[in-house]
Amino acid sequence: MHANDLELHAQGRSTFVDDIAPPAGLLHAFPVVSTIAHGLIASIDFSEALACSGVAAIMTAADIPGDNNIGNVETEEVLFAEQTVMYQGQPIALVVAESEHEARHAAARIKVDYRELPAVFDAREAHRQGLHIAPPRIFSLGDIEQAWQTCDVIVEGKTQSGAQEHVYLETQTALVYPLENGGLRVVSATQSPGMVQRVIARVLKLTMTQVEVDVLRLGGGFGGKEEQATAWAAIAALAASRLQRPVKIRLSRSDDMRWTGKRHPYDADFKIGLDRSGKILAYDVNFYQNAGAVADLSLAILERTLFHACNSYFIPNVRASAVSCRTNLPPNTAFRGFGGPQAMFVLEAAIFKAAAALQIDAAEIQRLNLMQEGQAFPYGMPAIECRAGLCWERLQENLALSRRQQAINDFNASHRLEKKALALMPICFGISFTATFLNQAGALVHIYADGSVGVSCGAVEMGQGVKQKIGNIVASTFSIDRERVKVESTNTSRIANMSPTAASVGADLNGQATLLACRQILQGLKRVAAGLLDIEAKADKIVIEQERVYFNGQPTAIGWNQLISEAYLSRTALSAHAHYATPGVYFDRSKEQGRPFAYHVYGCAAVEVTVDCLRGIYRIDEVAIVHDGGKSLAPEVDLGQVEGGLMQGLGWMTIEDIRHDSQGRLLNDTLTAYKIPDIHFAPEINVEFVAKDNPAAILHSKAVGEPPFMYGIGVYFALIKAIQAFNPAFEPEFTAPMTPEKVLLALYAES
Amino acid sequence: MTTLMINGKQYELDAEDDMPLLWVIRDIAGLTGTKFGCGIGMCGACSIHLDGELVRSCMMSFGAAKDKAITTIEGLGSEQGLHPVQQAWIDKDVSQCGYCQPGQIMAAAALLRENPNPSEDEIRTKMTNYCRCGTYLQIFEAVKQAAQLQGEQS
Repeated sequence: MHANDLELHAQGRSTFVDDIAPPAGLLHAFPVVSTIAHGLIASIDFSEALACSGVAAIMTAADIPGDNNIGNVETEEVLFAEQTVMYQGQPIALVVAESEHEARHAAARIKVDYRELPAVFDAREAHRQGLHIAPPRIFSLGDIEQAWQTCDVIVEGKTQSGAQEHVYLETQTALVYPLENGGLRVVSATQSPGMVQRVIARVLKLTMTQVEVDVLRLGGGFGGKEEQATAWAAIAALAASRLQRPVKIRLSRSDDMRWTGKRHPYDADFKIGLDRSGKILAYDVNFYQNAGAVADLSLAILERTLFHACNSYFIPNVRASAVSCRTNLPPNTAFRGFGGPQAMFVLEAAIFKAAAALQIDAAEIQRLNLMQEGQAFPYGMPAIECRAGLCWERLQENLALSRRQQAINDFNASHRLEKKALALMPICFGISFTATFLNQAGALVHIYADGSVGVSCGAVEMGQGVKQKIGNIVASTFSIDRERVKVESTNTSRIANMSPTAASVGADLNGQATLLACRQILQGLKRVAAGLLDIEAKADKIVIEQERVYFNGQPTAIGWNQLISEAYLSRTALSAHAHYATPGVYFDRSKEQGRPFAYHVYGCAAVEVTVDCLRGIYRIDEVAIVHDGGKSLAPEVDLGQVEGGLMQGLGWMTIEDIRHDSQGRLLNDTLTAYKIPDIHFAPEINVEFVAKDNPAAILHSKAVGEPPFMYGIGVYFALIKAIQAFNPAFEPEFTAPMTPEKVLLALYAES
Repeated sequence: MTTLMINGKQYELDAEDDMPLLWVIRDIAGLTGTKFGCGIGMCGACSIHLDGELVRSCMMSFGAAKDKAITTIEGLGSEQGLHPVQQAWIDKDVSQCGYCQPGQIMAAAALLRENPNPSEDEIRTKMTNYCRCGTYLQIFEAVKQAAQLQGEQS
């Protein structure tokens, strides 16, 4: 029986990379990594390691046939450090052995002699030293210098938001098979099969046609496998190519946490000016991004920070600057939200501080400044089909907000050691890759002689349900039973030059390409049907409905199987490849103006918390959301994305606290030391979807992967409000995460 | 060579006594439904039943598992079909990436075996497995559904 993913997962029958039966002759690769944050490699002694049992080879940069470079299109990044190491965890060499145990054993016996250099771990410190990945960028709107004069109140402040570890339950893994003629087949747990293919070809001096990358599914990605699966796949490929044997690499949880990048921590300075009523007139913000040692996606993330500096609000005078700072940490990378959450956190902090100065509730300022139809974002694009106000109003109604707030006030008045609070969090997130050239996708559809349909596209399934959506599109376009449709693995031999599955646009881009490919085939099928009916093939008169051909609204005797059979016999194409590029998106970086997004997703959340004022621990009671969801391609999938994204956002703001020691060593490299949301943490979540058509995207749906993450920011401000209900003297410093420890200190802070 | 009873079948396995049971199950017995997530018993992706008790197999040695009956996700159902927990998981669209779910299902099955009608608090106490995709709310619904299905079946 043809089982779907839900059925496979429930029976433990879904295959992840490490589940693939080990091929004969399999070797295991284990990287040797830097144990210091910054320094020169003086010497490496491999002698003891080479003598270890089971060792097939030890390789370094000197063994790379092509370029020692795993960077993406615009940046360079070495696979193996040669003279200089830039972060703890940077690969220096590779041990290949008959077993994972033997590889690890030998790697531990490689002695690296370093000459340490000074290291920087803090973004502001890196900035002071001029350690920038690229020059700063500035987005501006209006005339901010003039605007300050017109403000009734101006507040300034600083913020800091922390790193976040992805904790995809499936760690970084790759399995590489050598093929004939120098080729390789790479099974990689990556969100970017195209990048893995391109990089391996570059590193091994092969053509891309010699490298096939296949991805069936990921055990979670969240951005952590967008760039950072590449190094491990390249390492395994280097070994497989040299030794002409299959090679697997699989990181342990601790190694994965230590050696891979995180969500970018940001420091920021803000200055915000308002009139007496709470209207924001001016906003000046400087972002300092902690990039880690190498660019990775830092500049694209920095760009999105600027794009989302004003979140869901219209601010007529803005100056937002952002600079990516180089530090001696593992290169930070994509993580759901991609710089957007970090930007929004700062503005919400500024609003909170301004509200205190005006002696009004922050919600007053939020409401007053929500984006309206046609108003411009600082990058020049107007808000079209703006739903900021709609979602805000609907949430107020759903919650009966004033009554809810009254109940909270009453509770706080009658409870000394427990305090409740509620904070609102409106969001607005732009949909498209900000790098315009990535907004393209391909799809390949085959109808087989038995009437079953296979579809391949560039979208990688990582739990976001994109394959389900793609399959739904095929089934609905042909109007056939969903059971007939198989969504194939994501494979570079079937689809070339794929963009990563990221930016929430997997379904948008690949869905459109899929639709186009299906429509191509459908045209041919209608001609075949017309031939069978012995009539003229008028496309509007012939439709397929539930596996039957209809002519002029009447069912004919021709069913799907017969139609396909006749198409084949009449030599009509039953396969098609189509390409899609998002129309109308462009951005001029010389002016920092353009239309970078196809559309925006809006929404509003209310986060309610209860704080135990004796212990500092807290409970997130409920999150109510009104989410601008478009016409959903799969409602149960979208609900899962909202709940899951929110959960990660809540975790980022509260319990997920990344720390390093003074040498740049990650202190929380296990799941005992790094806490992610569990079932105790999960609040009640109530989501209402505003299901208005979105003509800008596939079948009028809206992208959903990332936007819900940002609802989680609301918990930070709810906690501050609750703390202040107990300790009115508490003045927040706006550093996230707001751990229970910080809450306890805040509850008893003196002014 | 040691014989281990897994899912009602005898497996002849060649492994050191101190090998974590998880690797014996995955790499030597070839049953890959049970997953590796952390190796220190924190995430629960490796959950199995040992003589009916819920155990995190990455924290148990092969030696300690001899002479016991192991059930993995592959053996949870029967000839009659899926276990009510598995059916509920499908009905309630729980899985996103699916990686943690075999462990979640084993935990839920163990819970419902001891406690056929758990309260929400009792569900929370037993279902401590991590899910980074955040499917907890759907897990709640599925456990309640499974309790109902199980009640109907008995």
